[in-house]
Parts: sequence; structure tokens; C-alpha cells
Amino acid sequence: MDTQSTLEKVLRGIAITAVILFFMFPIFWIFLMSFQTNETILRVPPSIVFEPTLTNYKALITGRLESTAGALEIEFMSNLFNSAYLSTMAVIVGLILGVPAAYAFGRLKFRGSEDIAFTLLSFRFAPPLLVLLPLTIYFQQIGLANTYFGLIWVYQLIVLPLILWIVRGYFEDIPADIEYAYRIAGHGFWATFRKIALPLAMPGIAAAGLLAFIFAWNNFIFALVLASADKQPVTVGALAFVTASGIQYGQIAAGIVLSILPTLALALYAQRYLVEGLSLGAVKG
Amino acid sequence: MYDKEKKLIDAYMAGSMSRRSLIRGLGSLGVTAATAGVLVNAAATRALAQNGFDWKKHSGTTVKLLLNKHPYADALIANLDNFKELTGMDVEYDVFPEDVYFDKVTAALSSGSTEYDAFMTGAYMTWTYGPAGWVDDLNEYIMDDSKTNPDYNWEDVLEGVRKSCAWNGRPGGALGSDDAKQWCIPLAYEQNNLTYNKRVFDSAGLSVPGNIDELVETAAAAKAAMDGGYGIGVRGSRSWATIHPGFLSGYANFGQKDLNVSDDGKLSAAMNTDVSKDYHAKWVKMIQDSGAPDWSTHTWYQVGTDVGAGKSAMMFDADILGYFMNGGTAEAGNLAFAPFAANPDAAAPTPNIWIWAMSMASASTKKDATWYFMQWVTGPEHDLFGAREMDLVNPARSSVWADEMFRDKLSKSYPGYVEMHDLSAPGASIKFTAQPLFFDLTTEWAASMQKMVAGEVPVDEGLDQLAASVDSQLKDAGLG
Repeated sequence: MDTQSTLEKVLRGIAITAVILFFMFPIFWIFLMSFQTNETILRVPPSIVFEPTLTNYKALITGRLESTAGALEIEFMSNLFNSAYLSTMAVIVGLILGVPAAYAFGRLKFRGSEDIAFTLLSFRFAPPLLVLLPLTIYFQQIGLANTYFGLIWVYQLIVLPLILWIVRGYFEDIPADIEYAYRIAGHGFWATFRKIALPLAMPGIAAAGLLAFIFAWNNFIFALVLASADKQPVTVGALAFVTASGIQYGQIAAGIVLSILPTLALALYAQRYLVEGLSLGAVKG
Repeated sequence: MYDKEKKLIDAYMAGSMSRRSLIRGLGSLGVTAATAGVLVNAAATRALAQNGFDWKKHSGTTVKLLLNKHPYADALIANLDNFKELTGMDVEYDVFPEDVYFDKVTAALSSGSTEYDAFMTGAYMTWTYGPAGWVDDLNEYIMDDSKTNPDYNWEDVLEGVRKSCAWNGRPGGALGSDDAKQWCIPLAYEQNNLTYNKRVFDSAGLSVPGNIDELVETAAAAKAAMDGGYGIGVRGSRSWATIHPGFLSGYANFGQKDLNVSDDGKLSAAMNTDVSKDYHAKWVKMIQDSGAPDWSTHTWYQVGTDVGAGKSAMMFDADILGYFMNGGTAEAGNLAFAPFAANPDAAAPTPNIWIWAMSMASASTKKDATWYFMQWVTGPEHDLFGAREMDLVNPARSSVWADEMFRDKLSKSYPGYVEMHDLSAPGASIKFTAQPLFFDLTTEWAASMQKMVAGEVPVDEGLDQLAASVDSQLKDAGLG
């Protein structure tokens, strides 16, 4: 039964609208900026009325940026590809390694398991530069410097602890009796893991994978230190619009719009899993 | 190249044809002025190949560069084919955005990476890189006739700029001293002077200020004349880069220093003298009265963008920032340039400078070949090409500043720029004391300035506190 008065409904609507406006306005403004030239963006006072242009998107997609210093070659689409490739591959590798490990930590309590799990989590505590300088030397010695393979490996520092700890909580929440019943029916350990544990944990795995993807996508420092310009992700590439000869606000805005699209699409698609997976994995019954 | 064009260019190179005749002649053959510049440089490169130096010694060798995303790097890349043709060498390069560039450089150098043979750097940064053993002393190459071509003409590089890239590694040691090591070689440099909006100045009947008092007054008058804008742009973020442009240039004009160096080489703070306090007070008042409302966040980018967008009437910052903002912005064509001596008793400006230079990585495994590239890119031919055809301003060589084509280009579109440069260049150099705590102490100086502008501390008290803190840190580091 609806117990809310009309006044409550109106107030609630106003409050929700205000919150949405507050949080969405920067995104909305960036979206508008992406269709403006630097000149209109920098008008005093700023105005919401302008003649839209696609030049910013055209510059990003064609790789040629006209600026006050003349024409500049930009690698934004290549950066976008690098981000997508590195993040996707890192998450796939992270899931392949992390999900069985999470199951082991969650279900098969063994001597030192907590210590090992905490050690893996501690990768997230260390300042990246502390790890990266020695890594640069090792990577050079073993030929992994400036390779996608090397970067995907290093990205495990971001994705693996995340996947492991989220999925582990989820495995722990699945009643062990279900698995025991399946085992008693004559199925092996591997089949139980594959047919029972994995499907039941799928929302949590999807949520962990999505979060890991977002964290990997937002990473900045690993590729910057360990790779050449041709392997830089969009987080580094976007800075190319801040040049000594001026800030290209329009291209930055268009770059932001393009770079949030993949994660936004993924998040919208997997929104249900994300909320369900995180809440179920986090609460112990 | 076709024979007709080649003959015209060779005649020009031989001095039997004027530049105007060359451009006219090439124009009649359908060659644009910009292309003519590249062709002339190709001819200059051919001439360079004839100077008896074994340019092909490292043919087949590849060197790799780390470059900052900057018009200077664009000029280098645009002319690279001429170097490859001259030497038979190949050049690879990585270009990184300026915001992260020095992180990349520091990571590469400190890890002993052999990936990059040479890289762009600022002179201040070599105060860290040099003593750490990350870069080579380039005197060893410059002074070696077997490694350096006879037309390199090192003395042609402006003295203040050349010496600013050399330091003996002793805290407080004078830049460019006899025992200094040449940690880097200038590509081009920036002086700090006034860039003002001529449209605003003319409509408000303002005159170009000639000293710090006039600057404070003019900035206030300009603010009153601006519709929602402000009077003067200067940097204000909590960074060493807030101190080094306009502020230090004016400060040095009063004979003031950042640090004292005693006879026994000990350093102590020098920024709390009476003259310094007076200058600081005027600077702070100028920002409070006429600076950007969000001054404390302003870096190179905001200062330049605002003068280009017409939000500020003038700026006291790098001349090349004004140069860049005079094209492709709302105020393009309205910006003009003026030298600025803050001290009414000073004979001329004494701008502090920023230098973009090339250094050689000590970890490089192809040092001789790398030096071939470095002497070419810092040599007179490339400097002239960059200045004439690209945006390699301010070129570091006096011969380029004497070039008629370059001066005409500047005078045509950047009123007052050449005169400003000529008047300021003799006094232009790095005014900081070279020492390992440079970035820490100068950033603290900027933080103190923020407190003074915010009214959190009176100027004289703030400077006394700063000096005490600087002295303490110097002592702790064994420098004071």
C-alpha cells in the first residue's frame, strides 16, 4: 500500500533531481564542451548556447589535431585500443588465475592460506613507483620491457588481489553442503568446482571482473614507466592535449567522452551483477 | 629535388642570391615558402656534409630519443630526414606529454635503462641527473675535434644560456664556472618578460609599465578596464615553477638572490633582506589587487590560456607563452611584447630563463653515435631551420637571432618580440643557486607566497619564517 503523501512524493522527486543534477552536471558539461571549440569554451562568462562542432571528435579519430602551434599528430585512438587491450587481457588472465585461487582460499582452508591471501592483497598497499623501478630493471634483463605481455603481467598487481578477495568472499557464502551433495553423487572435485561452485559464484565473478576492468582501465603509472609511447593507455594519452602551446579543452572533453564509453557500456550491462555480486559477496550470513 | 630548384637554392647558399629573390624564384616554380624552408635546410645539410667531418662514421646505427610533447620536439621531428640523409643513421623516438614527461625521464634514468640514448630536459633537472651520474658531461664531446664537426661553433650559443646548462656539481657552485660540467646543450629557451593585450591597453589608455611600481598600478588600472577579467597573470600554484618565471626575474633585477654562498661553500637563505621584503610586498599586493581570483591554482597553462582568451590584460611570464597565445586564440594578433626591468635603477631586464636542452643518458650504449645526433640537433643548421620554419623560439644561437628571415617573421606577427629579446638576452640566465634541494626549497617558497597572498601571514614575518626553515633544511642536508 502506498503510504506516501503527495507532498512527500514531490519533495522526494525534487531531492532526487537535485542529487542527479549535482552528480551529473560535470559529465553533462564535459559532454557539451566536447562539441565546442576552445574559443567558445573559454568565453567570459561561459554560456550554454553555442554552435556545435564535431571537430574535436574528428581530430581524435583522424589523429590530427589543429592547435595554436600548428598541426599536431595525436595517437588517441591507438591509446584507446591499448587501454581496451591491456584491460581486457589483464582481467581475463586475472580471472583465470584468481578464481581458482579464490576458491582455494575460500573453501580449502590450508596451512598459511590467510597469510598468502593477505600477501596478495598487500600488493595493493605498496606505492606503485616502489615496485616499478626494480621491475624496470628486471623487465629489461628478461626482455619484457616495452611488451604487452609484460604490461599484462604487471597489471595483475591491480586485478588479481581485487578478483581474489571479492570472489573468495562469494565462494565462502555458497553453502558447502551443495558441493558435498554433488560430490557424494559421485562427481569429482574438478567437476564440482566447474558445475556447482562456478555457476553459483558467477554474479560475484562478473562483479569482480567488472571492477577489475575499471581499475585496470584507470591505471596510469605502469605503462608510463614500463613501456614506450606506442603502448600507452588512454590515461596517459589524454594528457597530450595539455601542451606548452595551450590546453585543448575541446579535445580533452571529447577524449573523456570516448574513453568513458567502454566502461560505461560495461557497467550499464553488468549493473545488476555488480550490485548483486558485491552485496552478496560482502555480507556473511 | 628538381634541378631548377636545386640551382636556385645552391645560389642562395653561395650568397649570390637574396632570400627574397630565392622565395620569388621558387614561388614561380610552384614551391611554397614553407617547403622552400625545408629545401633550403636540405641544401644546408648538404653543405654540412662537405665540411670534411666524417658524418657517415655511424651509418647504420639507430639511436633512440625520449622527447617531450612540445613545439621544439615537433621542429626536431620535422627535420629528422635531413639528419638521416646526412649520417646514414636512424633515429627512433618516444614522445610523452609534458605533464608526465619528467616522471618518465626519472624512471628511465634512475633504473639505468639503456632504452633511450638522449632525451630532452630542463637545465634545473640536470642538477639532479648530473651528480647522480645519470647523464654525461658533454664537454668531453664538444672539445673533441674527432667527434665534433668543425662548423658546430659552440661559442655561437648565447653565453647565458650555454653556461646555465653547466655546473660543477658543488652546491652553490656558479653555473658555467671553469670547472663546470656541461650536463646538457640548449635547444631553445624562454625569457620572462611582459606579454600584454594591446587592444585592452589601447582602449583603456594604458602605458606599458617600466618597473614594479608601475606594474602594480597598471595591473590595477587594467583590471578596472576589463569586463569581468583581471589585470595581470602570474603563476601561483604550490610549485617551484611559481617562483622561477616573472617573480624571480623581477627579484633578480634588484640584485636579490635565493641563497647566500659563504667563502667556505656553506649555503644560507637570502630571501629575507629588506629589499626582498619590499619586492615581495609589492608582488603580493599586485596579486591581491589585480591577479586571478584563483591565482593559487595557476600554472603555465592557466596564465597563458587566460591572456589568450582575453581574461587577463597582461602576464609576466615566459615570452614564448605569449608567442604561442598570439595565434589560434580569441586574442590572437592582439598580444604584444615588452621587456621588463622591475628595478627602476636597473639598466636592463635580468630575466630568469627556462631552457629545453638535450642530455645524453650515461647508460646509453651508443654514445658516440648519440653525440652525432646531439651536435646536429643543437647545431646552427637545425636551429635556423626550427626558428625560421617551425616554432623553435627562442633559438639559443646568436647567429640565428641575427638571421634576417627569422627576425622578419617575428616582427611581422609578434610586435615588440625581437626588441624585447635583444634587450633582455644579455642579462638572461638562470638566477637560482644550483644545489640539490632546489625543488624542495623553491616549492616551499611558493607555499609561503600563497600564505602571504591569502593574508595568513604578513610578508616580512612570512619571509623570516621561510628563511629559518630553509636554513634548517640546508643544515640538515649538510649544506648550510
